Parts: sequence; structure tokens; C-alpha cells
Amino acid sequence: MEKLVDILKKLDRRWIFLLIFLSCIIPFWFPTLFKQEFSTSKETQRVYDIIEGLDEGDAVFIDWAFNPTLQAELLPMAEQTIKQCFDNKLRVFIYYPDLTAISLGENLVANIVKEEKYSKMEKGVDYIHLGYLPISIDMMIFSMYSDFKSTFGKEGKIFKGIKTFNDIKYMMSFAGSAHPEYYLLLQRRFGFRMGAGVTAVTGPDFIPYLQTGQLDGMLFGLKGAAEYENLRLKNLDVSEEQYKKEKKLNQKANAGMASLTLSHLIMFAFIGIGNFIYFYERKYKKSN
Amino acid sequence: MKKEIPILIGFFATIGWYLEFFFAGTFFENWKMFFTTGFRSVAIVGLLVGVVNVLRVNYSRIKYNNDRWFSVYQMSIIFLMVILASLRGVSPGTPFDAMYTFGFIPLDATVFSLLAFYVASASYRSFKIKSIESAFLLVAAILIMLSKMPLGEAMWSKIPAIGEWIMDGPTSAGKRAILFGAYLGGLTMMIRIAFGLEKSHLSD
Repeated sequence: MEKLVDILKKLDRRWIFLLIFLSCIIPFWFPTLFKQEFSTSKETQRVYDIIEGLDEGDAVFIDWAFNPTLQAELLPMAEQTIKQCFDNKLRVFIYYPDLTAISLGENLVANIVKEEKYSKMEKGVDYIHLGYLPISIDMMIFSMYSDFKSTFGKEGKIFKGIKTFNDIKYMMSFAGSAHPEYYLLLQRRFGFRMGAGVTAVTGPDFIPYLQTGQLDGMLFGLKGAAEYENLRLKNLDVSEEQYKKEKKLNQKANAGMASLTLSHLIMFAFIGIGNFIYFYERKYKKSN
Repeated sequence: MKKEIPILIGFFATIGWYLEFFFAGTFFENWKMFFTTGFRSVAIVGLLVGVVNVLRVNYSRIKYNNDRWFSVYQMSIIFLMVILASLRGVSPGTPFDAMYTFGFIPLDATVFSLLAFYVASASYRSFKIKSIESAFLLVAAILIMLSKMPLGEAMWSKIPAIGEWIMDGPTSAGKRAILFGAYLGGLTMMIRIAFGLEKSHLSD
């Protein structure tokens, strides 16, 4: 036993890296490795219901505050939100508070409109990229409440009837940091409705805001994104053939769930082994 | 006067923004836009200063043979992206976008994904039950992780509810306490800046 403990204690961390790497990669070839059914959290359901409840032509503001580092978790969320908005014929305004995020968002929307279902969506009419502003969020909010269009200096039919941020019916902030808090700080002052899509790491920071009702709903990590994908698919009113097609196109977060599960199991195993070594050594030292 | 004038500006701006919350209306409309435009101008000048700084730092590195080839490579990429963006734009399908998609995205995502490997290695070495508190932490962490993956729910249907309770109860309570302390600290700092007691932002 002592020999085994000694081997485990001196285990090169490259073995851990290799196992984590394999646990992330292998499930992509075997997506049905684990049971993939899971319930929908109430936060995800709320985001879905709110967007579903908006009227045709209503405006939704998307705050795209993430760059490629967080795309695994946040890109599927943003994709499903934009698609749901398009399904409900809502106008989508996408703002990028991070310069390196602009192309990521533009590429995503360009890929969405390539899909047959959304091929009629027009830039400047159904959606618009508002770009980046070199000012802080609080300044931008004050500016949007004075004049929405001139804040961004953009033109298009999409701005019809939108004078100030008051005319935006809902906003979603996607971020992997405390960024949505900048909006929440001024929410009390202006009273706009908002939801958030955040990474699993930053999610707990926003629970108090959900409890106070400042956040209407929240998509929480990869599981939140997968729940959202499933919700949209479940509520699609299409033929079986079309459903299969849609499922293939809207499974990015679900595809990562098996990988997430296996890598966590590997981590549990290592935590267990680490604790076993610790207790074994403590006992051995005490007896000596 | 070098110190007094910025302190006075800080004092009036702080009081103004503070009062705006209580007396929102037309009186403050133009004043707010003045500040918004002002901030935008300052940020653009700041961007220019940043560009000049990048050029100066890399020029001296190239000249004095200090990481020369790294700087040459870095500057070439920057100039190439600026030239391509100026000539063909930045929309999807352009050469700039190709550099972003096939260069920046994989590199940026790779750097961040390395975190998973280090977290796994660190948890193996240091996530140990050394006390009652660390035992609570470990159990809570495992329950939360299980609640965030499908396997947890498949193992026991109550796992998501337990995870939710930990988040809504103990985690949220701790977070609220931290937030409350941080915002009180922020308020104190605001008062100190407004009355000129804090001068670190003036390089004092």
C-alpha cells in the first residue's frame, strides 16, 4: 500500500493533464455516453418565457460582453436567444462592450441567417450590430436614455419607433465577469427589464439579483445553455423531419454535456485519491 | 492650483451625479450628454496614447535587440490586421475576419481552456479535508458540480434541488455580505474623492 501511495503522491501532473484532455475529447465521439436528460431550471425557463411573451416587432437589446475565451459556454446561449428572437419576429440590437467580441458576434449572426429558416432576416431591419463604444456602461446607459440612435451613430429601419432605451422591451447581458452588474446598478434608476447569460464560474455572483427580481432570468453555464436549446426544440411546431434538422443545428451546448460530465468525474476521482493519500499519510505518521 | 482645480471638478461632478438620481429630469439632460461626449473624447485620446505607447515600446525593443523577433512578429501581425481591415473591412468573409476566425479565436480559447488542466491538477494536490470547514466546502463543491451535470440528476433526482438550495441559501448570503461591504467601501471612497481626502487618482 505504501508503495502505491508513494507512486500516487509523486504522480506527474502531466498524467492528470492527459486524462483531463481525453475526458474532454472522447465524449465528442460518444455523445450518448451518459444519460442526457435533465430538467429545466426555473431561471432558464423564465428567460425563455419572457422572450416568448414579447409581441411581434418588440425590441431586444443584447449586450455581448464575451470574447472567444468564453465561447464554449456563452456562444450557444447567445445563438439560441437570437434565434428565439428571430422566431418571434423581434428586433435584435447587439452591442459589444469588448472590441475583440465584435467579429465573434457578426460571424454567429452571419451563420444564423445562412440557415434556410432565417434567410429572410435582414441586417438593419431585423437585427443590427451596434459596435463598440469607448465609454463606460453607465455613461452609455445615460446616453441611451437621452437618444438611443445617436448613441451608436447607426442608421436603419430597425430604429423606427425607438427613441430611447425605454422603448427596448428586454435586454440580455452575456458575460463571464461582473459586467452585468454595471447595468444592475442603474436598473433601479431607470427600471429596465433584464436577464443574463453567464458562465458557471460567475453564476453564483448573480443569484442575489435573481432573488431581488432585478434579474428576470438567467442562463447559468453550459447546462443553462443546453436547457435553453432543449426548451426551444421542445416548443418547435414543425414536422418530424424538420425537427431532426433543427436538432442537428441546435445542439452545441448539449454536445458538450457528456464531455463536461466525464471531465468532472475524473476530477472527483483525483480529489478522492488526493484525500486518500492525505488520510493514509496522517494515519501512518501518527502510528509512527 | 494643479491639485485644487481637479479636486474641485471632482467635487462638483460627484455631487452632480449624486443629485441626478434624486432629481432626474430636464435640468440634468444636457449636462449628462456633456459628460458622455466628454468621456468619449477622453477615451479616444486614451486609445491614441495606447497606440503611440505600443509603437514606442516595440520600437525600442527592436532597436536594442531585446526580444527583437517577438516584437517584429507582433508588430507585423498588428499592422497586417490594420491594413487588411482598412482595405477590405472587417465583416464576415474578409481577410481580417479570416485572421480573427482562424488565428485569434483558437489562440484565445486555448489560453483560457488551459485553466481546466490547472484546476484539475490543483484540486488533486490541495483540495483536502483538513478541517470541518474544508469538509463542508468539499461536500458543497461536489454537490454543486453534480447539480450542474446531467449525471447528478440521473443519480438522484433531488441533486439539482440541493444544488439550488446551496446557491440560494449559504452562497447567496455570503455573496450579499461581500457585496454590501464592497459597496460601503465604494461609497466611502466616493466621499473621500469628493472632498479631496483621497488624491491617489491625481498621482499624489
